[in-house]
Amino acid sequence: MSNSKISVTTVKNFFSKLSFGSKIVWTLAIFGLILIIYRFAAGLGAVTNLSDGYPWGLWIGFDILAGIALAAGGFVMAGTVHLFGGHKYHALARAAILTALLGYLLFIFGLFFDLGRPWNLWRAIYSWNHASPMFEVAWCVMLYTTVLILEFMPIVFERYKLNKLHDLWRMVVPWLIIFMLGMFTLAMSYSLAWALAMVAILLVWEICMRAGWMPRDKQMPILLIMAGVIFSTMHQSSLGSIFLLAPTKLHILWYTPILPLLFLLSAIMVAPAMVTFESLMSEKVLKHKARFDLLSDLARWMPYLLSLYLLLKVGDLVGRNAVLAAFTVNAQSVSWWIEITIGIILPLILFLTPEIIKTKSGLLWASTLVIIGLVWNRINVAIVGVIVEDWETYYPFWTEIFITIGVVAIGLIVFKWAIENLPIYEHETVLAVK
Amino acid sequence: MKAMLIDSTRCVGCRACQVACKEWNELKAEETTFFAGKGYQNPRDLAADTWTLITYNEVEVNNRFDWVFGKLQCFHCNVPGCVSACPVHALEKTEAGPVIYHAGICLGCRFCQLACPFKVPRFEWNKVIPEITKCTMCADRVAAGLEPACAKVCPTDAIVFGDRDELIHEAESRIKSNPTTYVHHIFGKDEAGGTCVMHISNVPFEEIGFDTKIPMEPIASKVEHAMKPLPYVLTGLGLVLGGVSWVVNRKKEISKESESGKEG
Repeated sequence: MSNSKISVTTVKNFFSKLSFGSKIVWTLAIFGLILIIYRFAAGLGAVTNLSDGYPWGLWIGFDILAGIALAAGGFVMAGTVHLFGGHKYHALARAAILTALLGYLLFIFGLFFDLGRPWNLWRAIYSWNHASPMFEVAWCVMLYTTVLILEFMPIVFERYKLNKLHDLWRMVVPWLIIFMLGMFTLAMSYSLAWALAMVAILLVWEICMRAGWMPRDKQMPILLIMAGVIFSTMHQSSLGSIFLLAPTKLHILWYTPILPLLFLLSAIMVAPAMVTFESLMSEKVLKHKARFDLLSDLARWMPYLLSLYLLLKVGDLVGRNAVLAAFTVNAQSVSWWIEITIGIILPLILFLTPEIIKTKSGLLWASTLVIIGLVWNRINVAIVGVIVEDWETYYPFWTEIFITIGVVAIGLIVFKWAIENLPIYEHETVLAVK
Repeated sequence: MKAMLIDSTRCVGCRACQVACKEWNELKAEETTFFAGKGYQNPRDLAADTWTLITYNEVEVNNRFDWVFGKLQCFHCNVPGCVSACPVHALEKTEAGPVIYHAGICLGCRFCQLACPFKVPRFEWNKVIPEITKCTMCADRVAAGLEPACAKVCPTDAIVFGDRDELIHEAESRIKSNPTTYVHHIFGKDEAGGTCVMHISNVPFEEIGFDTKIPMEPIASKVEHAMKPLPYVLTGLGLVLGGVSWVVNRKKEISKESESGKEG
């Protein structure tokens, strides 16, 4: 009795201390969790408008396709800083890795209530169908989440001064990566020769680094960063490959053999936008000073990325003789134009206008548009562009929407906690004090 | 490989096949509702408990309206889209012909539903422990040397069961001996790379509910260009990323060394 009273008052105290905004976020998160419990008690049909014609809906389109693309900041920034010589962006890398890790953990959480039989997820470890893009996705999810956890660990070690564990981490990580990439290559090719080739390549790099011939970052094993880039490249593109198996269902505006490439490129394109959005929003909400100098540098890449993506998208339409479909008035073509205008053309204009992009609000708006455009694209591919029988339609049921909002709310709560309690943005100053 | 041949000119729309399918597979009756179009057809579409269905189509034949019946069920493709899509081999193409499902390893990802060009697999949306369901071509009966329940019960032999090559031969000879009646095409001979359920008809196939835009190659061939190069991409990235990092970081070291050299 007394125990329950104490816990009730602690909860009440905890809640009353929260700011108004936080109260809303917590409420949405708890409501989402309750609905998720209901989903497992009542089945997918009770909480979704999904049907045999539209087996995939909001959760696949938004939580999974868009969510994974928005997590691309992690591998793009980690790769830029540690592989491609962009050391100056170091201050942005940790936040990007945190977002990616959170994104992937939430994605796995989301997968658990979207899958019909999630308790069988682990079976992908031993039952291999390497012809299936979904098998590739399943492996990428498992392995890249492991990579992200490994990339994130030093932040925790630093915060709690776990130096011995940090040393152990440095020792174990390269070998673990060689094993993971070897197994992944084996699973994707069914060929021991390919797997051994992969292992051999990675071993050569590791030996060269240990022998001192190849530059070595003692703090961050290069192989770990490489694995992050490799798994992400595979994962982002394989999400596009999935839809190649629906040639008669996905609308001609989106169904293209280069869909995997477009998925990868748009994920890379959204990475700087997402990093910018987060930094500027954290500055607004959590009062962390954003590195505007670095963000402006990052913004210089955006016109190139956006133009390349636009060029590929339009060139692909022309190449497939599908241009006319964009000028036929129907739900799909309207949605396609919204995607292109909001997500590519408008931000391209904004990023090319110095007066706008050199202000914080201008940069924030341009980045936000790129993000919205990407989400719109993934929803188009997963829902709007899928055409089945004419009596079948799909729009999300309110519980689907509130579960998605709940998942995002959980993400915000954890992100806020991590920013406040772990050396994410203050990384540099912490090092300087030491 | 075993297969089925379904001839719309012989079907009288008695739906004994629908009933026999439910009986053999112990499927529940469905509560159905009225829907627009399609006359006497019931229910409207395949469902988790309805693995085969006779479609009632009002089509103009010889200048008068007539009912022409189509039969919906799993096509048991030679190279099934669902089998290529399934990440864990929960769906399997057996050597005997039937495409069967192993619930024990299924994740419930429903990719098979998206990847099936014939829109066949169903999902038990209202069950806490759901399964994918579809026609199994009575794989258990076939394994015991029997024909599928629907073929067994068909009173007019509109559904015949047999060896796939022999059935193609049979279909061709039926079309040849009655060239003005039949459409000169065997639906399923080449669709989606060839299927083990084939149809011949006296009206165009789109009139009796079949998608005639389905490609003639296996659905899996649409993703081959993305899956086959994977080992090359993987090892290529392993080489290139390592090489780039070596060059870039070495350059940085050199510039640092020369800087510190100047200072010293």
